[in-house]
Amino acid sequence: MKKWASIVLTAFMAVSLLAGCGSKETDSNTTAKGGASSSDKPVELAFWGDWAGEGQKQFETMVDAFNKSQNKIHVKYVLQQDMITKFMTTATSGGESPDLVFWDRWRTSLYAPKNVFHPIDEFMEQDKINKDDFYGEALKELSYDGKLYGLPLTVDARALFYNKKILDAAGVKPPTNWDELEQAAIKTTKWNGSKLEVAGFSLADNGLFNMYLQQTGGQMLDETGTKTNFNNEKGLEVLNFWDRLLNKDKVYKIGFEQGLGEGTDAFVTGKLAMQYTGPWMLSTYKKYGKDLDFGVVTPPVGPNGDKGSVMGGLGLVIPEGSKHQKEAWEFMKWWAANKDNALLWAKTSLNIPGFKPAIEDPFFQNDPLWKPFLDTLEFAKIRAQHPGYSVMEDDGLIPNLQLFQQNKMSAEEALAKSQQRGDQLLQDNAAVK
Amino acid sequence: MLASIGKLNRHQEKMAYVFITPTLLLFAIFTVIPVVMALYLSFTNYDVLSRMDWVALDNYKRLFKDSLYWTTFKNVIFYSIIFVPLNILFSLGLAMLMNFKRFGIRLFRTLNYLPTLTSAVAAATVWIWLLHPEFGLVNNILGWFGITGPAWLAQTETAMPSIIMVTLWQSIGSNMVIYIAGLQGVPDYLYESAKLDGASAFARFRYITWPQLRPTTFLISTMAIIGALQLFDQAFVLTQGGPGNVTKTPVYLIYQQGFKQLQMGYASAQAFVLAIAILIFSLINMRINKAEEPVV
Repeated sequence: MKKWASIVLTAFMAVSLLAGCGSKETDSNTTAKGGASSSDKPVELAFWGDWAGEGQKQFETMVDAFNKSQNKIHVKYVLQQDMITKFMTTATSGGESPDLVFWDRWRTSLYAPKNVFHPIDEFMEQDKINKDDFYGEALKELSYDGKLYGLPLTVDARALFYNKKILDAAGVKPPTNWDELEQAAIKTTKWNGSKLEVAGFSLADNGLFNMYLQQTGGQMLDETGTKTNFNNEKGLEVLNFWDRLLNKDKVYKIGFEQGLGEGTDAFVTGKLAMQYTGPWMLSTYKKYGKDLDFGVVTPPVGPNGDKGSVMGGLGLVIPEGSKHQKEAWEFMKWWAANKDNALLWAKTSLNIPGFKPAIEDPFFQNDPLWKPFLDTLEFAKIRAQHPGYSVMEDDGLIPNLQLFQQNKMSAEEALAKSQQRGDQLLQDNAAVK
Repeated sequence: MLASIGKLNRHQEKMAYVFITPTLLLFAIFTVIPVVMALYLSFTNYDVLSRMDWVALDNYKRLFKDSLYWTTFKNVIFYSIIFVPLNILFSLGLAMLMNFKRFGIRLFRTLNYLPTLTSAVAAATVWIWLLHPEFGLVNNILGWFGITGPAWLAQTETAMPSIIMVTLWQSIGSNMVIYIAGLQGVPDYLYESAKLDGASAFARFRYITWPQLRPTTFLISTMAIIGALQLFDQAFVLTQGGPGNVTKTPVYLIYQQGFKQLQMGYASAQAFVLAIAILIFSLINMRINKAEEPVV
């Protein structure tokens, strides 16, 4: 029964794959095989990513630089819009696997237990790559069960963006702790009757609960990593803070930023004084906000002086199905573990590289907009490594936080419901080997 | 003579099979096999990459305890109860308005059909703008009358009604066209004899138009119910299922479970229960619509 089913399934997936993938790919794959057999031709590597447009050009800059730097390996960037789905189908249907995949790191704990990636520990040892040269949290996010599966290309964390003009007009300095943040938000908010004209501080993203919780000294999951750990005084402290800002101080209105895209972003158009966001917005704000004079500071500390921010970012991984894992590692090493190349990538894409020596460059150290992020990265922590973590946040926590923000639930009730539902989701979505 | 007719029939029979084979093959590959596979997968812990073990009814047991799954059903049923009658009301009303033979009526028909042609995602993106609490067109118009509009998509009370509004705007155009076709199929002599008997306009609608349109209404309501239970695009783009899960739909959950959490077995069980629900609602609809046979 099982065998029959998998044959039908494979056939079905093959049919859908034929429709999806063009003939180009098969071409490059046949040349790749030819390259492997004869020694004078370079080995062809397929590098999959889902960045199009500007991002594609940034990737191609790196790929071209690598291809020119030697003549044994030739990398080709293959744009896959629906990369994860395509990757899953090739992994199961025995199709030609890519040799490198551009990887959103937080997914590692969901995919790695299924043995679809090749661990790089041996390569690291052979080439004596120093793990301390990378952000530890980023490497942790690429690890599972003691094995390392890739190297980080970018690191990010959220910091506080503020509009200098609005803060100056209100006579406040960029806040350093929760109290100052609250006062600054109150002073910069402007209402016109029932219409909110300038919001002091954005409370749009409930997903930042994790970050606030760290600022009260809390953690999302307990020591076992299998149960939620926010239905306590620390969680309550966060919700009370939000409640004060939203309902008593009225520095924000639910739905205020919804649907305001790049060009009309509330922060760009001066309708928002302060918000938490990441370095990926720097280039957008420079591009769209010609009159926007903004600054960045590290996230204000909580009531007891705790610092907190959430680290994320992207990396490179080598699929287990790749036929040229050694060559793929050469490319990964060249890009992610070399100062000059990591810096080239950083300057091309305007991202903070995961390789620390590259960050010592004046490009980062002397820029007042980069510096707060570098400082934040020193204490930022990755999301908890549990395959059900994101689903716990999305379905267990955030809906209840939304009901709390709309006064449909008390803080205690919201936390209790989030815990009950969240623990269930963690259990249902735990990794089974 | 008789023998040649028999031959002809046999020949036609053969040709019929030749003609339906491609369609049936496509139907089998893209509809029957996936449904059978989903049924089989719903009894396994298939995770796309490494596992596929028989787990018997585990997925279904988990499903019955999964409160969120039933919340999503409550959401789409609430949606259907409001959406389906309004859809019939508006599309029939529009169709009757557009059924007159007047100069320029085709232009109006086209204009009313236009929203149907836009992609659901693109239309929803524009609607996010229109429904913005402070800068959106809808609340600005309400502001002229001194009304402070709500944050349509961000409040639990108005999120689902907003989605109903947007999907109605987009779907009545195509249903209007179907109704116009239905209206033009009603024989004129029925109206003429009713007029001779002195029937009022309302009576003509009540006793001729509405019963005559019964098959059309059946088609439209069935399609609307199926569409409602499969609601995804608008809920995904407009509200991402929020706030507080009030706009999360079964298909949204299936997508999340299957493609984001890699629990294809469990997602298949969810999909199968949804398919059965659609079947049940369609059958109920069929019974209601078949209660009275159309005249003529």
